[in-house]
Amino acid sequence: MSNIDRRTLVKGSLAAMMASAAFSRSAFAQSSEPILLGVSGPLTGPNAQYGTQWKQGFDLALDAILADGGINGRKLAYSFEDSQSDPRQSVAIAQKFVSDPRIVLELGDFSSPASMAASPIYQRAGLVQFGFTNSHPDFTKGGDFMWSTSVSQADEQPLLAAYAVKKLGLKKLAVLHLNTDWGRTSRDYFVNAAKEYGAEIAVTEGYIAEERDFRSTLVRVRDSNPDGLILISYYSDGALIARQARQVGLKQVICAASSVYSPKFLELGGEAVEDVHVGTRYFPEDPRPEVQKFIAGFKKKYNGLEPDAFNAYAYDAMNMAAAVVKIGGTDRRAVRDAFMKVKDVPSVIFGAATFDVASRRVKGAMNAELVVRKGQFALWDGKPT
Amino acid sequence: MMSSWLDYTINGLIVGNVYALVAVGLALIFGVSRLINFAQGSIYLVGAYIGWVAVVQLHTPLPLTIIIVAAASALVGLIIERFGLRPLQNSVRIAPLLATIGISFVLDQLVMLTFSPNPRALPSQLPDVRFQVGGGTIGPLDLLIAGVGLTSALLLFVFLRYSKLGWAVRATAQDRDAAMQMGVDVNRVNQAVFGIAAALGGVSGLLVGMYYNQIDTAMSLQATLKGVVAEVVGGAGNVPGAVIGSLLLGLVESYGVAVFGTSYRNLFAFLLLVVVLVLRPNGLFASARQGPPEPLTGTFIAPSRPVRIPRWALLVAAAIFAILPFFPVSFYVLQTMINAWLLGMLALSLTLVAGTIGQVSLGHAALLAIGAYTSALLSLTFSAPVGVAIIGGGLMSAALGTALISPSFRLRGHYVSIATLAIGEIVSLVILNWESVTRGPIGISGIPPLSLFGYELVSPTSIYWFSFIVMVVLALLQARLLGSHLGRSFRAIRDDDIAARAYGLSLNRYKSLAFIFGGFAAGISGGIAAHLYSYINHETFNTQQSILALTVVILGGLGNVVGAIVGAVALVGLPEVFRVAAEYRILIYGIVLLLLVRFRPQGLLGTM
Repeated sequence: MSNIDRRTLVKGSLAAMMASAAFSRSAFAQSSEPILLGVSGPLTGPNAQYGTQWKQGFDLALDAILADGGINGRKLAYSFEDSQSDPRQSVAIAQKFVSDPRIVLELGDFSSPASMAASPIYQRAGLVQFGFTNSHPDFTKGGDFMWSTSVSQADEQPLLAAYAVKKLGLKKLAVLHLNTDWGRTSRDYFVNAAKEYGAEIAVTEGYIAEERDFRSTLVRVRDSNPDGLILISYYSDGALIARQARQVGLKQVICAASSVYSPKFLELGGEAVEDVHVGTRYFPEDPRPEVQKFIAGFKKKYNGLEPDAFNAYAYDAMNMAAAVVKIGGTDRRAVRDAFMKVKDVPSVIFGAATFDVASRRVKGAMNAELVVRKGQFALWDGKPT
Repeated sequence: MMSSWLDYTINGLIVGNVYALVAVGLALIFGVSRLINFAQGSIYLVGAYIGWVAVVQLHTPLPLTIIIVAAASALVGLIIERFGLRPLQNSVRIAPLLATIGISFVLDQLVMLTFSPNPRALPSQLPDVRFQVGGGTIGPLDLLIAGVGLTSALLLFVFLRYSKLGWAVRATAQDRDAAMQMGVDVNRVNQAVFGIAAALGGVSGLLVGMYYNQIDTAMSLQATLKGVVAEVVGGAGNVPGAVIGSLLLGLVESYGVAVFGTSYRNLFAFLLLVVVLVLRPNGLFASARQGPPEPLTGTFIAPSRPVRIPRWALLVAAAIFAILPFFPVSFYVLQTMINAWLLGMLALSLTLVAGTIGQVSLGHAALLAIGAYTSALLSLTFSAPVGVAIIGGGLMSAALGTALISPSFRLRGHYVSIATLAIGEIVSLVILNWESVTRGPIGISGIPPLSLFGYELVSPTSIYWFSFIVMVVLALLQARLLGSHLGRSFRAIRDDDIAARAYGLSLNRYKSLAFIFGGFAAGISGGIAAHLYSYINHETFNTQQSILALTVVILGGLGNVVGAIVGAVALVGLPEVFRVAAEYRILIYGIVLLLLVRFRPQGLLGTM
């Protein structure tokens, strides 16, 4: 065992050395080799669950791409390097990818510190960093090689605010948000939009990602007398808050951001998430063919498992990458230019996705207003809860 | 609002209840082995997942579930004691600490690989009835958790005080050698203690998992952190004290939320810890009769014969690393080495304060953060040249770091580690909350790249040389320092602070000096990292980095300058080398770490 490991290791490092010695910007045109994408993301460490979900989404998309004949006859594949969402490791991975001539495009990383620490390296080397979950407003400002299909919170939060204030008629809101760059940015967009629609913000409370106990926070919420709770949370903390809110006897309407959209939210929240409203970017009964294909394919590939928002982001990102590489080929600069050319790529989150060249993001995320009914996400029927 | 205060109090007690379960196990082990068991959180994790298997797969009733979890966790504890810790019982005191860190890596990874990192629901098997208390409600699980916590604390108290094995446990805690001489089977005592503590840890993981209907692999470190805080507040090694410490911790957190808001919650937890340690260094409930919690003289960091590396070998090694970029190595290798040099600077800093003067710090990442934020803000807000900004970061880290740590100068041994751990967390939480300066969770982006005299250093080669030279200069300075009169004074304080004081050395002044030097090196490392990354926020320099730094230093040999650098290269390099193993790499890393501790407990190059 150890012998084999050592041998592959030596071989690997030799190959890396030779590759860097023979490094040239024009990629090799070996048509039998797959076209390779680099993925930098967490497979171990505290964010490991998201890396696992990415993989599921990627693999599903790749199956379909291969079945359609690949990229101009070549297979598309990815090399996933575990960064643990640690900037020290993501910069090393960045160097690894930029000096590997087979890599035509990079996807990730997950957290902003890890992604944005690597951005200067990708930018200088001229390899696209496609940060498909990077909503930090400064991510794409890192340079013209930073592109993102992460739903801009400037787009998403007003939709959620409209759902809560205009549709559900909530007038006085308590906002609970993850105190990360994402949660903070989202909160600000949400608060502005909600005020614009005429609601009052009773209280906002930011909590750290490791927090599990929200009882005292909920007493603060109760004392501010809101008529609705807004959760800018991921599914695991969102479920915890909903449970504890019901346990301490808060009966207000709960309205949550799309990032809680996951079967795990239902599993972890149990009865407490019944009647929780969720503004999402897609929903299972959505008749659009790309959504139906995604959901049916996902369930088939993963033994009936329901996909969640992070699966969908990864699935869309891989399809977008394929569309871009189809146009740009294997030249890294041409791949960057292809992001400006690519048009109306079918996607779960955006419908037909086209990049806004100035912001290097995609605008116009789809909107669906769901509610949890009988332990399932369902389209909201307009009835108050 | 009077009723709200009642609710905050009840909520504080409920959470304290949850902390108590972990704290009691930690206290028990500390009481006997004088060891902070960093693997306790991992046993808690293992217990939660075994419970999940029992409840969801096997559909066992609750009493049976608890018995299964307790038995299986106890078995894990026995295995840890037998194969992880017993081989180290005659080696340096710091080795078992490192071993528990390695064990926690291995256990966490095993759970993650077996069950996937996705969170799981762990449904409670108790009826869903709620009792109205004040403005909120409590359920049967709250009562069960309180019952388990109090009963186990009481049982342990009685066991330790009135049973024969309990006497043996206490005798071993007081004086291991004397106990052995009186015929106490010390190994059996340790086994009993680890078994009980692990069973308790596993059951607490199960109950807390049911309480939140959620278990995931990230819960282990948080449990350890809060448990350690609660235990130390109550007086390390004191089982009833751990329960009261936990309740107090829960109350302080809850009141902190009440007065200042949710984002200040942990700030109050860690401030409580620092205040308690400063006012009552042995914890709130340490009895006056209790002996000093740590050895009086330097057995905490035992001297060993350091490996003497001839000067020519060092010169050759330095020369090889200096010309490394001329060889056909990839940028990836260079970037990895840059990381190693940056970690090396941090390790130099830590090896000085931990190894040379004996202040084992567990919050060293805070110094990185202070250096990084200072340098980033100087260059962005005041347009200071990057070189100047980095030096500014080093100076700020030296000044602020020393000022922050100075209240804990009177502490010894493990208590220093816990206080520094708390100070590290406090710095990170202040960065998160002091938005007008640090931009809070949004972080600082667009930090200019490294540059020197107007030339931008952007190629990996130039950054490699820059960081290598800075590290070598810092290492040479430190080596010079250690060889001087000052270095001897530092070691004298580490080895026997009473003798050193009798000789007229002012402890506080020398400790300050060590932190000033150490803070500078760490701040420089953080400053360079900020310009290298271009973006930092409060998560960039986290607790894991502090633990990594300590691992590097212990691995290299405490106080050993060359050892710090060798350790940094090893611990940055190994996870990269193991990339071929994909998901398994951190598991392999943990095992390698354990083997190193097992066979080189004094560190690769030995303590200086």
